[in-house]
Amino acid sequence: MTEVATNGHGAHVEHAPAPPPTGLRRFTAPGWWRVLWMMPLFWGIGAGIVLLLRWYAAWDPLWEWNALVVVAFLTTMPIGFLAGLGAFDYWVHYALGGETLPEDHSGHGARSWKDYFRVNTDHKVIGIQYLVTTFSFFVIGGLAAMVVRAELAKPGMQITDNQGFNGLFTVHATLMIFLFVIPAFAGLANYVVPLMLGAPDMAFPRLNALSFWLLPIGGLMLVGSFLAPGGPPAAGWTGYATLSTHLPMGTLFFNMAVQWAGASSIMTALNFLVTIITMRAPGMTFWRMPLLVWANFTTSLLVVLATPFIAGSQFFVMFDRILHTHFFNPVGGGYALGYQHIFWFYSHPAVYIMVLPGFGIISEIIAVFARKPIFGYRLMALSMLAILVLGFSVWAHHMFVSGMADYLRVPMMITTLLIAVPTGVKVFNWLGTLWEGRIHFTTPMLWALGFISTFVIGGLSGVYLGAVPIDIHTSDTYFIVAHIHYVLFGGSFFTIMAGVYYWFPKMTGRMYNEALGKIHFWTTFIAFNLTFFPMHLIGTRGMPRRVADYAPQFADWNLFISICSFALGASIVIFFYNMIHSWKFGPKAPGNPWHALTLEWQVSSPPPVFNFDEIPQVIGSPYEYGVPGARHALLNGAKTHELEEVER
Amino acid sequence: MRRGAILQLTVLALIIGGLTTAVAVIPNWLPPTAAEQADRIDFVFWYVTIICIVIYAVVGAALVYSVWKFRVRPDDDADGPPIHGHTGLEIGWTAIPFGLVTSMAIISAIVLARNDHTGSNPLKVDITAQQFAWTFTYPQHDKLTTNILRLPVNRPTRFTLQALDVIHSFWVPEFGQKQDAVPGIRTHITVTPNKIGTYPIICTELCGLGHAVMRSTVIVMPQDKFTAWVNQSGKAVSGGGAAAGKAVFVSQGCGACHTLQAAKSTGKVGPDLDKLPDYAQQAGMPLEQFVRESIVDPEAYVEKGFPPNVMPPTFKSLPKAQLNALVKFLVDSSKAAK
Repeated sequence: MTEVATNGHGAHVEHAPAPPPTGLRRFTAPGWWRVLWMMPLFWGIGAGIVLLLRWYAAWDPLWEWNALVVVAFLTTMPIGFLAGLGAFDYWVHYALGGETLPEDHSGHGARSWKDYFRVNTDHKVIGIQYLVTTFSFFVIGGLAAMVVRAELAKPGMQITDNQGFNGLFTVHATLMIFLFVIPAFAGLANYVVPLMLGAPDMAFPRLNALSFWLLPIGGLMLVGSFLAPGGPPAAGWTGYATLSTHLPMGTLFFNMAVQWAGASSIMTALNFLVTIITMRAPGMTFWRMPLLVWANFTTSLLVVLATPFIAGSQFFVMFDRILHTHFFNPVGGGYALGYQHIFWFYSHPAVYIMVLPGFGIISEIIAVFARKPIFGYRLMALSMLAILVLGFSVWAHHMFVSGMADYLRVPMMITTLLIAVPTGVKVFNWLGTLWEGRIHFTTPMLWALGFISTFVIGGLSGVYLGAVPIDIHTSDTYFIVAHIHYVLFGGSFFTIMAGVYYWFPKMTGRMYNEALGKIHFWTTFIAFNLTFFPMHLIGTRGMPRRVADYAPQFADWNLFISICSFALGASIVIFFYNMIHSWKFGPKAPGNPWHALTLEWQVSSPPPVFNFDEIPQVIGSPYEYGVPGARHALLNGAKTHELEEVER
Repeated sequence: MRRGAILQLTVLALIIGGLTTAVAVIPNWLPPTAAEQADRIDFVFWYVTIICIVIYAVVGAALVYSVWKFRVRPDDDADGPPIHGHTGLEIGWTAIPFGLVTSMAIISAIVLARNDHTGSNPLKVDITAQQFAWTFTYPQHDKLTTNILRLPVNRPTRFTLQALDVIHSFWVPEFGQKQDAVPGIRTHITVTPNKIGTYPIICTELCGLGHAVMRSTVIVMPQDKFTAWVNQSGKAVSGGGAAAGKAVFVSQGCGACHTLQAAKSTGKVGPDLDKLPDYAQQAGMPLEQFVRESIVDPEAYVEKGFPPNVMPPTFKSLPKAQLNALVKFLVDSSKAAK
């Protein structure tokens, strides 16, 4: 037992991990050996329940695959995986009446790569687990997109068939949204938010570990759906009933994968809310929080309030199939449009879940690399709250042509157009921050500036779609495909890139290669615009989305788009090379390479296991660049002689 | 702010605005219109486009100017001036966009109301969508049914849509109007065609494997030709024989998924119907019985290499006479093809 770090009260003592168990004890200790037998065991329990009930009720056939797949493969087997890995050990011990164990922190920190493959309670380890996992699914989703574009390079069918094509674009979108954008932000925030708050960890470290491990389950379900009889889910990421209730079994994998990823999302959001409300360092008032923290606060509120709705919508679709309920099937009295209302009541706020954390990242980066305070800090935070509130009142703008009640259209149009106002305010305030600054063109800053230029296009095409008459013409065309990629690629993806480059030195303790980073930015930026901008045009001209085959008049543009999309795909290779190579061989990073003021940069890179030797005392705004003598916080005992001067 | 900076910013905004305008004007962004509704939609489109060009020019100019003027000089480690905000500016760039989007909302609402206005004497057309075919019925003309839509020019047409299986969406790009057909409810849309011609009908809501081929055609014709067509077609529908079977094949959209020489269809989603005798042999059934079963109960025998649950089960509700005619047509023509 070596004492590595204390917080001054001696509460945080890092213990060396217990020596790895040997022999048969490997099978009882938490870990991958126990997963080996617990997964089949839990599969058997699930299958046993289904078979026993069906046998008792004398239902025919006994082996009903829809029910077996949902219960045994998609519910109990993943629980067995989590139990084997040890996600529930402490809670089970406690629930069975065991004594409260004094926390020994042996599940904290990472000493070797193996520590990333266990239930680790360190928010920094979990952050990296999230990022590596989400980028792995990003690669799979990206490859699916490459096949889709290869098929679309020429009219007619060349590479895949209709079934394969529908499955590929469905899995592409689902992976990118639920397994990349949303959790990648959660990963970045997991690493950074506790540091920015001056906290030693998240409020609920065990819950944090569980939320991470739910994620690969959802992702592997989607990837594994390619093995399902009848192929992968093929109703698009929106999974509209009644198509989704008509399609083969692969749809069940979509229904359940969304549940696992959604549960992960909700648990993390709760954790962020409690952490941000209760674990701010002394002096860190709400109006002194960095905007990234504000962004994750509003995002977490959205997640907690909205995500249960998509869970409900997917359960209803699944029940319509396996329990023969009639939520959406009109033959039994169901209401097909009900699905869309419930789905979009989540999925529109989800758009903000996928972009508000990005706004936070951009605010951090622009202030640091323009060397200026954020322009209109309070309005920046308030505009996010405005987006949060308005975001719940715009869902039916996805349904202007759906056949819903006509009178809903104009009110939904008004709220939709109004939400452009707080979003515009953010863009103008970023420009105000750049104004008269000393702009340093580092890689993260390039991504931030690139983000502003592309996100404005995505925002403006959103204004077109908000106006009902234009939306009626462009709904379900390639204009929508262009818009969603300008928002989620030019928006969310660019901000994730900015964040990954910005915090790479903090996370790995190494510097990335600046030249490669810039090459990566410029190739991606150019290829992205060449790929997606022409999609607006073929959309308004009349090409519907989600088709493998199309009219010959669109052939030239599609070939051009496909070629550019391959260049876009290739540009990502530069990123992975840079990240992997720099992580291993990059020059050592100093604690604060960007001369930033926020707290995560005031500790070593990477930070000590419990972040701060002593909880810092916050005394001012985190963005006081250029203000003589201004400080954000006092660290490491500096307060003993300076506190008297501090206004509390 | 110095006068020089304002001048440079204005020049930049004009350059970026000019480039953006070129992007907006040089390609043909919208298909040629063929309906009053599309003309009004185009008006909203261009109104929003002008506002967006102005906003993009302003943002672009500020961004380019900052990147160009405020880039850090080598070895300059200083911070920028500590400007924390400007209340007047912040109120300005909240209020002006608010005004602009309000104007868009008002114009959109007016156009929407006018596009929904049908008048007192519309032509009524019922649209039935199913995987993967369109059927059009004229309730004012003895329920005349067709799979190619014909409309008289300059008369408002009120469409009533229904779907038999999953959600589909009816779109003619030249009309600008689009409406989903939803199982279990009836939806409506109005189109007033104002240009004679032939235009594509496209399904825009993902509806399954044959979604990309769920296409049809609308022919907009002068009123007198339309009347002549209605009178002529009304007679042709009755009567038996191969013509009746072929009419059912066409109106039910079988050709969207199936190849059949006799109907000149080349669909590839489902099995090739010219090979029906072979399939019947593999299924071990007499040809006629096999064809009938495959229409009313498509899952009873699924040809190897094709996934189950794709062919809609809805054809079992075909009227007996039409079903008989269709079976006879398929049996005869597939034998002939062999």
